[in-house]
Amino acid sequence: MKNQLNRRDFLKLASLMPLSFATPRFLKKLGNSQALQNGRKNVIVVVFDAFSAYNISLYGYKRETTPNLAKIAKRAIVYHNHFAGSNFTTSGTASLLTGTLPWTHRALLPNGMVAKPFVTRNFFHAFQNYYRVAYTHNSWAYTLLKQFHDQMDQLVPREKLLLGSYNGLIETLFKNDEDIASVSWARTIKIQDGGYAYSLFLSNLYKVLEEGKVANLKPMFPRGLPTSQTDIGFLLEDAVDWLGNLVTDIPQPFFGYFHFLPPHFPYNTSLEFYNRFDGDGYKPLSKPVDIFATHMINADALKYRREYDEFILYVDKEFGRFFNALEASGLLENSWVVLTSDHGEMFERGLIGHMDTLYQPVIRVPLFIFEPGRKDGIDIHTPTSAIDLLPTLTHMTGQTMPDWAEGVILPPFLDANPDPNRNVYAVSADKNDPKAALTQASTTLIKGRYKLLYYFGYPDFGVNELVKLYDIESDPDELVDLYNSKQEIVAELLSELKSKLDEVNKPYL
Amino acid sequence: MTLINSKTQLYTRQGLWSLFLMCAFPFHFWTLLLAFRDLSWLIDRSNLWDAISVASYGMIFAFAESLLVFLIAIILGFLVSKYWDSRYRIALISSLILITALWAIASQLFALLSISLPIWLIIFFVQQSHPLRALYVVSLLLVASTVLIPTYLILKSDKALQVILGFIDRITLLAAFYLLFDVIGLIIVIIRNV
Repeated sequence: MKNQLNRRDFLKLASLMPLSFATPRFLKKLGNSQALQNGRKNVIVVVFDAFSAYNISLYGYKRETTPNLAKIAKRAIVYHNHFAGSNFTTSGTASLLTGTLPWTHRALLPNGMVAKPFVTRNFFHAFQNYYRVAYTHNSWAYTLLKQFHDQMDQLVPREKLLLGSYNGLIETLFKNDEDIASVSWARTIKIQDGGYAYSLFLSNLYKVLEEGKVANLKPMFPRGLPTSQTDIGFLLEDAVDWLGNLVTDIPQPFFGYFHFLPPHFPYNTSLEFYNRFDGDGYKPLSKPVDIFATHMINADALKYRREYDEFILYVDKEFGRFFNALEASGLLENSWVVLTSDHGEMFERGLIGHMDTLYQPVIRVPLFIFEPGRKDGIDIHTPTSAIDLLPTLTHMTGQTMPDWAEGVILPPFLDANPDPNRNVYAVSADKNDPKAALTQASTTLIKGRYKLLYYFGYPDFGVNELVKLYDIESDPDELVDLYNSKQEIVAELLSELKSKLDEVNKPYL
Repeated sequence: MTLINSKTQLYTRQGLWSLFLMCAFPFHFWTLLLAFRDLSWLIDRSNLWDAISVASYGMIFAFAESLLVFLIAIILGFLVSKYWDSRYRIALISSLILITALWAIASQLFALLSISLPIWLIIFFVQQSHPLRALYVVSLLLVASTVLIPTYLILKSDKALQVILGFIDRITLLAAFYLLFDVIGLIIVIIRNV
């Protein structure tokens, strides 16, 4: 019996080989479209760290920092008064991901973690019938994502998008204590700006090795490569390219959370935008010095602001590129795309950065929602909060809306008109024991046109209680404190805020 | 003086221990100093426990660096004539490590304290046809002299040798305490990673 393949049979079979390569991909796409036909669209949440709405030209900033966003926003729902849950990464990101405020999720300390119940009360749990994937450059956000790891299908290691760093070894060796091990490693081996490190000899060798690895990229970043300061650097271009490929390769429907570090300090923009605003004559408003002021030299604030604005240009360009890639791949038609931030940044009142205070530049952040298939834009001016994203996206994708979420469904997705007098809070208590009642915190209540700031427990700054009131509609720059002239409103809002504090403190008393 | 002794072994156990502690001393001293300096911002960044932990990791890394330099020092010791007493070998290599570490500390101190060269020295270098080359030559002469002079003294003067060995004795006692910190650091690192 002759059962051997002859040459002709072999060639016939060989001609089928390309089909065998294409089949799995085709079937995956078929599976995807079936899933999408069930109405379950993908969700892509892109977070740019420390991205203040105040510095975005689309929101009225005098420097043109976001030309690409301005173009694509014509197809987006743009939220003009959107507030982060806090003023720094840990608390702000935890609020966004859990849909609860810091006084509830308790990720209060820098690099802290959420309270145990919230390990299963977050976006990843809410989208459990989706493919869930997350990535962040930010080590503090990564601490939170690691907490939610069991709720995800894929947590991409932070190292993935960091340029040829040796941190991977440290992060692998000390995976349960990555942040502090990395900080110590950085202090040991990386020669700081001034030229010092714990290590006397190896730090010099390490510097030579590192510089060799990124030497070809240096001319493209005159201020240095974008970095989280504990790594050798990263490129947002790489992150965007990687993300573009990832979202076309993973199973659909998916929920993806992607948290990139720019425009967070250090503001190392690319050569293309370097010195773009140098000598442009822009003069920010002069504002009263705050009690937490640390940077009294105005020239420093101006310089940092300019560098930050130039870094935003880099973010704007790369997000635009990502958006175009989504559109080209057809994913935009089947995906909810959200652009937002965990907190803002400020360069005024003797403050540079984003700790302690809750002025608008630090808590007012961008929110753009690109609805699948939307062709025209909508502007929403009602105050909204980071905690609203979770209920909104679960509602819009047909997921069960969690009963523990503290936010509301964002306009225009709510059938009823939004409540203009809704209470929007932001909280920062980065020195407060997460397991104790709040005794030292910066809090704010935004209601309608008024914003009440209430700081308490800062004896080092000479105040045990400090209250300020601003009319953010007529005075968006918070120049005039209405504490003395609007005593009734102060009393009403303060009473509401204190009642809320009593309520959230109750379990910890 | 017994400079040449063909029957002397290259290293004694005690000698190696002293050499290791001499290697450990500058790295641990500098790590601790900078870790204390970092305490305030680390506490500000997170809390005291994290700040102590950063120092703990630092001590572990310092131990690793000490070990590496110790191995290099042992290899260097083979370059010293085997006819010399092991005490000379230890004294020479220890002083070499200490002096180079002191120069490394000095260079970091310049950065830490924002010290710059005196203006007359800068003018002197600028006036040379190759300022950078002149700077390197002067630096090399300075460093070489600080290495060669003690080496010469150790080899030629018994008194100098005794002074160095006495100094090593005192320093190694202190360095042994640093190893205790390493153990504490290791315990903290283990606690944080389990």
